[in-house]
Amino acid sequence: MNEIVRKTDEQLIAEFQGGDELAFVELVDRYKDRLINFVYRFLNDMTDAEDLVQETFLKVYKKKHAYREIAKFSTWIYTIAGNLARSELRKRKRRKTYTMSSLSFEDNEFTPVDPDMDTEGVVFNSYAGEEIMKAIKQLPEPFKTIIILRDIQELSYEDISTILDIPMGTVKSRVNRARLKLQETLSYLRE
Amino acid sequence: MQNNECIYVSEQFTEYQDNSLSSEIRARVDTHLAVCSLCRNTYQELNDLLNRLHDLPAVGAKADFTENLLSRIEALNQESTWQKIYRSSYTRVAGYAVAAGFVFALGLNIWIDPISSVSPIGSQRIAGEGQVQKTSTDSPLASQVDSVEYSKSDSITFQRNTINSGTQSLQLVSDR
Ligand SMILES: [Zn+2]
Repeated sequence: MNEIVRKTDEQLIAEFQGGDELAFVELVDRYKDRLINFVYRFLNDMTDAEDLVQETFLKVYKKKHAYREIAKFSTWIYTIAGNLARSELRKRKRRKTYTMSSLSFEDNEFTPVDPDMDTEGVVFNSYAGEEIMKAIKQLPEPFKTIIILRDIQELSYEDISTILDIPMGTVKSRVNRARLKLQETLSYLRE
Repeated sequence: MQNNECIYVSEQFTEYQDNSLSSEIRARVDTHLAVCSLCRNTYQELNDLLNRLHDLPAVGAKADFTENLLSRIEALNQESTWQKIYRSSYTRVAGYAVAAGFVFALGLNIWIDPISSVSPIGSQRIAGEGQVQKTSTDSPLASQVDSVEYSKSDSITFQRNTINSGTQSLQLVSDR
């Protein structure tokens, strides 16, 4: 274990603000997989997800001084990535390229986080996950966002409240409603 | 058949699962689940759904992700070095200096500005959530993102943004 591993995200961004570019690289390593996993659930496209996460890090790089210590680094970067994902979705809707055919994501490339992961297992899991991804995609945007943040990214209610700028009580009731809605959508898809 | 108690109980499922309900409400949910098979099924299905969500295969960055990012940053840095050289050649000509600085600052603002469209992910409110919503849709975090590094020569804009971000910080602290 080298010294940098023990540092908090907030220490790393402070060091980066002070000019240490290695601290930035460490933050990239810590967040790239999480953010790609996050953004991918919105876009259902690995190439777009990678591009968008690159954009996110470029913004962090260019605007490092916009970060203030009063917020957690994680909620700050999730806010940036989430907003980029949301505006990408809006752009797609405007271009009308977001057709029903893109519901199928068989063509998309999966990059397992664990390189030793059993390939057959990945294929099986992605097949099983397809139905649920279809259902998530059909959710209204605020429900989709909250399911991704809470049930896929497994963020705390507090962090979600900060990222979405809504009260904690609203987060909880929205999670509840989103899950019921998702369940309803799934059973509708099965019929 | 679903009744008002079913609706009430289904609204508690998330906190029931989190084990964060008061003992009184928890007992009420327990009692209802014991007698209502419809809600029992729904709750069981919700549990299965959560397991499936947690088991979704994780995706991650390709091996060359960081490398690609760093070369994009390098290109960006080289670009801004050339912009600096370009700008300094103008400053020798006193008559053009003010105009060039203004044009550059304007360009820089536009170039840097794409992030100002950043707004909170949750700014889209859902009707019937029953919460008193803040009238402002500005996220304190998003505002922080907005207060970008303006050209230092543009001192009035720079100061104004510093003051703004100070106010936003206060809001964030007092809201939570
Ligand atoms: Zn019931």
